[in-house]
Amino acid sequence: MKTRVNLILALAFAILFLAACEPAPKDIMIGHDECAYCRMTISDKPYGSQIVSTTGKTWFFDSVECLAAYELTDGLEQDRIHSRWVPDFENPDVWVNAQHAHYLYSEELRSPMGLNLSAYDSRADAEVNRNSYGGEVKAWRGVMELVNEAWLDGLRTIPETN
Amino acid sequence: MKNLRKRLILLISLMLILSVSLLAADREIRVTGSIQQAVDAARPGDMLIIPAGVYDESGITIETNRITLRGENGAIIDGGESGHIIIVKSDSVRIEGLTLRNTGQSHIRDWSAVRVESASHASIKDNVFENNMFSIYLSRTKDSLVQGNRISGGGDRESNSGNGIHLFDTERITVKDNFIQQHRDGIYLEFAKGVSITDNVAIDNRRYGLHYMFSKDSEYSRNEFRRNNAGVAVMYSQDVDMSGNIFADNLGPASYGILLKDIDNSLISGNQFLNNTTGIYSEGSNNVRIEKNKFERNGWAVKLWANSTRNVFSANAFIDNTFDVSTNSRQHYNTFERNYWSKYDGYDLEGDGIGDVPHRPVRLYSIIVERNPISLMLHRSLFIDVLDLAERVMPALTPETLVDEYPLMKSPLQ
Repeated sequence: MKTRVNLILALAFAILFLAACEPAPKDIMIGHDECAYCRMTISDKPYGSQIVSTTGKTWFFDSVECLAAYELTDGLEQDRIHSRWVPDFENPDVWVNAQHAHYLYSEELRSPMGLNLSAYDSRADAEVNRNSYGGEVKAWRGVMELVNEAWLDGLRTIPETN
Repeated sequence: MKNLRKRLILLISLMLILSVSLLAADREIRVTGSIQQAVDAARPGDMLIIPAGVYDESGITIETNRITLRGENGAIIDGGESGHIIIVKSDSVRIEGLTLRNTGQSHIRDWSAVRVESASHASIKDNVFENNMFSIYLSRTKDSLVQGNRISGGGDRESNSGNGIHLFDTERITVKDNFIQQHRDGIYLEFAKGVSITDNVAIDNRRYGLHYMFSKDSEYSRNEFRRNNAGVAVMYSQDVDMSGNIFADNLGPASYGILLKDIDNSLISGNQFLNNTTGIYSEGSNNVRIEKNKFERNGWAVKLWANSTRNVFSANAFIDNTFDVSTNSRQHYNTFERNYWSKYDGYDLEGDGIGDVPHRPVRLYSIIVERNPISLMLHRSLFIDVLDLAERVMPALTPETLVDEYPLMKSPLQ
């Protein structure tokens, strides 16, 4: 009996330990944390994004476009990036993996850095907002291409990411 | 007979001219029912006087040119938290003497107490704004005036609140003598051209007192920016003239007197930077002249990143700052000349007012702190003083070229 309890305890600790090891997005302190790309104080929760490194370090951004620009310009090695996270525009408390998110590029939804990208967990939500506000639904690669064109004069090579 | 006909025609035409001019005369109309009804009935040139009282209206839309809305003392329009309060879509509209409050908050729409869209010659003067998401929002607007308004933002809704005065895609706007507090940004400009911002006071805003984005050919002078959460940010803009302003008490790790990010060909002159964590933070900014400013009692007077080049610092006074200049690299291409440094310990044997020994404003300690912030702990320790002295004698880590060859013995400023 006692050994079984011990075993369960050991398992529980092992799971906790593993869970703690997995790098995960952190909460952004709205109104205090600074964007790592443009240095602006992050003040709009539905746009605040982040990159998490393999060692669990985080870089916060005030907008999806700053995250993309940082990745394109800062020489952050691809193998250091564990994951990129964007908030679901309809439910900003939920983090969505940037590479699987759907993006609406719409003049009517003005983002903090003026490229007007909002992110969604479900494609249906992005399409609902496209129908109300106009614009174009994009995938992550499309976002990178847009930022590259609009901000970096199309000079960068977009990293192959899955 | 012919003469009579001629006279008749003259008489008739005279009467016609008279009646037309009577019709066109500017009328003063006292509003009795709803403001929207009065606006709909108004003709160009009319002045609508709004008597004292609380009007529960929102979405008041003005589409006629040359309309004036003038509030008498105590005239309040309460939007009831349901969206824009006044929307101006026509030219030469004036809004004066009103109190506008309670737009409510939206996470998608930028609800504004006064929203001017695609118009020109608007004048928004001497109004009071309370508890609005955005107070004054000019979009695609030209040749307009925002003057003498007292603006106070929403309660404590940090994430949702909008800006006090928001200029989006505007040309030739004057923003003067306004007082703005408790908004996200006090004054915000995006894609603005030829804008003049003078004699305003922005205090206790949640992000920036003033925030410039993607703008050109603009000036801001004689404004006071105090205790804003992050100070003032001037970003991605060219030809900005910043003179005679006061930047004070902007305290916090991400708070700056001015944050300069990607600024070209600009002037920062005659300003006072008092008691800020960082006076000027400059990243990616080129060809900016920084002259005749007073930097007093700041944590860092100037943080100048190596990607900023061809900036000239002259005739400034650096007084009692913990760090005068800090940078992140030994390489740098900026000029410091004829500034006054209260930390200068050289001498002036010739008596020409210029120190005989060059001054190196970057302390070794500031480089150490930049690389390892926790070493701030060692501030005022003997160990640091010794390190600083050794570095001054034989620079090894501090930028060798960052030196004021002609340090002034006395402050050039009052």
